[in-house]
Amino acid sequence: MSDEKLLVVKDLKTTFDTANGLLPAVGGVSFDLDRNETLGIVGESGSGKTVLSRTIMGLQPRTKVSVTGSAVIDGFEVVGASENDKRKIWGTEVAMVFQDPMTSLNPVMRIGKQIDEALRVRLGMDKAAAKARAIELLELVGIPSPQERYDAYPGMLSGGMRQRVVIAIALACSPKLLMADEPTTGLDVTIQAQILNLLDELKDRLKMSVILVTHDLGVVATRTSRIVVMYAGRIVETGNTRDVFYHHRMPYTKALLESSPKVSNHSHTRLVTIPGRPPNLLNLPDGCAFAPRCSYATDQCHLVRPELEPSSEPGHTFACWNPLPVNEEGALA
Amino acid sequence: MKRLVLLVGIVFIISVGSYYLIHLLPGDPAVVVLGFGATPAAKAAFYAQVGLNKPFYLQYFVWMGHVLHGNLGTSFITGDTVLSKIRSALPIDLEIIFLSQILAFAAAIPAAMRSARKPDGVVDRILGASSFTLLSIPPYIIVVFAVLLISIKLGLAATGPSAYVGFGTSPLNNLESLSLPAVTLAIGSFVVYYRVLRSDLIATLQEEFITMARSKGLSQRRIMWRHAFRPSSVALLGAASVNIGGLLAAGFVVQYLLAIPGLGYTLIAAINNDDFLLVQGIVLVVSVGVVLINFIFDFIINVVDPRISRE
Amino acid sequence: MSNVRLAEIQILEGSRKKGEPLGILFWICVGWIALNVFVAIFANVLPFQNPLNEDFTALNAAPSLHHLFGADDLGRDILARVAYGSRVSISVGIGAMIIGFGVGAPLGMLAAYRRGRFDAILTTVMYVMLAFPAIIATIAVLSFWTPRSLTKIIIVIGVASIPLVYRVIRTATLSVATKDYVVAAKVQGATDRRILMKELLPNIAPIGISFLLIGIATVVTLEGALAFLGLSVTPPTPSWGNMINEARTILQTNPWLVIFPSLALCLFLLCLNFIGDRIRTHFDVTEVKL
Repeated sequence: MSDEKLLVVKDLKTTFDTANGLLPAVGGVSFDLDRNETLGIVGESGSGKTVLSRTIMGLQPRTKVSVTGSAVIDGFEVVGASENDKRKIWGTEVAMVFQDPMTSLNPVMRIGKQIDEALRVRLGMDKAAAKARAIELLELVGIPSPQERYDAYPGMLSGGMRQRVVIAIALACSPKLLMADEPTTGLDVTIQAQILNLLDELKDRLKMSVILVTHDLGVVATRTSRIVVMYAGRIVETGNTRDVFYHHRMPYTKALLESSPKVSNHSHTRLVTIPGRPPNLLNLPDGCAFAPRCSYATDQCHLVRPELEPSSEPGHTFACWNPLPVNEEGALA
Repeated sequence: MKRLVLLVGIVFIISVGSYYLIHLLPGDPAVVVLGFGATPAAKAAFYAQVGLNKPFYLQYFVWMGHVLHGNLGTSFITGDTVLSKIRSALPIDLEIIFLSQILAFAAAIPAAMRSARKPDGVVDRILGASSFTLLSIPPYIIVVFAVLLISIKLGLAATGPSAYVGFGTSPLNNLESLSLPAVTLAIGSFVVYYRVLRSDLIATLQEEFITMARSKGLSQRRIMWRHAFRPSSVALLGAASVNIGGLLAAGFVVQYLLAIPGLGYTLIAAINNDDFLLVQGIVLVVSVGVVLINFIFDFIINVVDPRISRE
Repeated sequence: MSNVRLAEIQILEGSRKKGEPLGILFWICVGWIALNVFVAIFANVLPFQNPLNEDFTALNAAPSLHHLFGADDLGRDILARVAYGSRVSISVGIGAMIIGFGVGAPLGMLAAYRRGRFDAILTTVMYVMLAFPAIIATIAVLSFWTPRSLTKIIIVIGVASIPLVYRVIRTATLSVATKDYVVAAKVQGATDRRILMKELLPNIAPIGISFLLIGIATVVTLEGALAFLGLSVTPPTPSWGNMINEARTILQTNPWLVIFPSLALCLFLLCLNFIGDRIRTHFDVTEVKL
């Protein structure tokens, strides 16, 4: 059992039925995840990464959405599963950390109770045991004076603290997979590092797999073993983190990397931006979705959409007709 | 506590207002009491006796003084004290309101929860359409038709269901006699509560902490009742406060139609009899009551949602 | 009365159904209202019988070719009385709302926009007036201010509705006036008058119109209630309210006298409420979460 992959996603498609037509937020995504592995899903806003994360969990809205394909978590097929069935894995097999801790915590319920709830309802603990465990969890995520904080309302805590509470709730039932959707966006930079370190630490201690969904490459650079780069609802490049960072083939990846400001840049270096705007998913162009903005685009790029093809490195695939060239060692020329 | 001061202030102004209003009205108490043939001299004597010849503000203070001592005056017409009349009539109104609200909430809350879970579903649409229709039917028409139906079905005389019976006399008959006004008022309240709660629930359900609760594996039922309801109940309480405040007066016509001796009936009878003091007393009591109700509700809302008190 | 409370709450909280299309039901209702108004205005040139004409051969008659809606206990044609009765109800509704909106709306908008002492004083006054149950004041005043006339009724109800209109319009204006685009216009140096006309008014208009319609419905309901207390127009002038009131005593002998005016009244109210509600949801452009 432990040799099997924890998560296998095959050709997952999520389509929204909107007032303006069908919107293919996720247009066919496949990847897998090992146990104890950390995967990064990277993309701009609108790339479909959030929708992907929710669809994998089965948390997409219940109406006006259609999901096809497959997402199997530890043997459980999420796509097409009933709400009742999905409820069985929520919390105990998979858990999610959301982006904005202010809105993901119930503002009128004490945080202790919110953690208790998971323990009592899902694990059947009694009141006293749940409270004890909740305090343990608060300590685990690094909240000082957990006994007093237990009775606090979310509004009384700082952003970083709240996010820790959210993580505590997610971990309450010891899930095998933690889906973290932009867990640090909106937090102060110093807090960001703390939260990410916390996740690292917990992942090792509790033997969890983590999927980090973010637009910030800095976040995934040192903390993930593999990366998936998304654009317009599809994967455009994926592989080991190192490979993608240093030997990327798809120009979008290059553009993404270049547009993050680096501390090593001289002052007054102009910020590099990607020209143009993300495509309108309701009206995707033929061919590669990135072609209109790509400086390497050829005619073929505008006509036919490239599929993922392997590169010379194991596990590293990309979707591009005109990929960036490599030399013999595999480094970028 | 600032609110308490505000409350007192409003009550004060209302009492002045109601006193002034009554005095503005045409109709001469002297004539009422002494008859049309009263001579000017007799009238003057009457005014002096009753204190109506003093300047206005003085009259007001005298009156207020009486009021604060619990003396709302003695009616010229009937001889009973205003206070005793109000005392016997008020509980009836309160009971009707109480019953109607129980019915309204008991129906509206489950209905709204059901609709919010599946918006635009079959149940939701039916409830929406019928609630809208009900909203448009004035209560007195409901009463008229209800009476018609009851008299047809039960073969009773078309004067209506059994006359009012006090609670002490017979609880069961009491409830029966008040059932029609209670239901009539409940319908209007139900529509308001249902729509407000439904709309707020739908909004709350879109919030992220609900998705989070879902991701914890909690059941639908638990999510609806323990997570969605509480924030939404604030809106419901707000609606309740607006609604109940108006219910006191709204029930008047219905009472009158069914000859139920609540404040409404008493007020209208008093107006018809030119019983100024009684009218004044009732107006004061009702106005103060409405303000008090709003005040109490504001207070409750603060308890339920700690966010508001911190703002 | 509950439709006013509901409308106010919904206006204050914002709607959830954004940009909903008006739909065919909407236009059907508009048509019905238009028909009612048309009949009210042109009743005397349309082929109705004389509503005051007592026909002794048709006392309490059931509907027939001669009396399409039947006849009442004095032999008067119900259809004609319903038609003429619409005059009372509609003129009360529109007249009172003209007063209420004519005074309450500009004051509300001004107060919300200017704020400061003007707003504070005016609002306090209005809120105190609101605390005073309008129905009671209306009943009291109308009972004593005899002889009754349609004009007096319109005035009394109109004045009584001013505080409510004031409150709703003021709240609506407040929520719009604090929006960024209004502040931006101000910063750009637009005159107050320009801001009022170009920024505030178009955004408040849907709410205003919606509330206006619902207000008319409420006033018409109120007229009915007054009729039940004998405080509406004096007989033999027909109004929907006093027809239903008269019918109460003879329910079993002549159900038509109750049914038709009630139907007329309820349908009128239903259409008004519906149109008012639809206008509000159709024009309410707040962001939707994806």
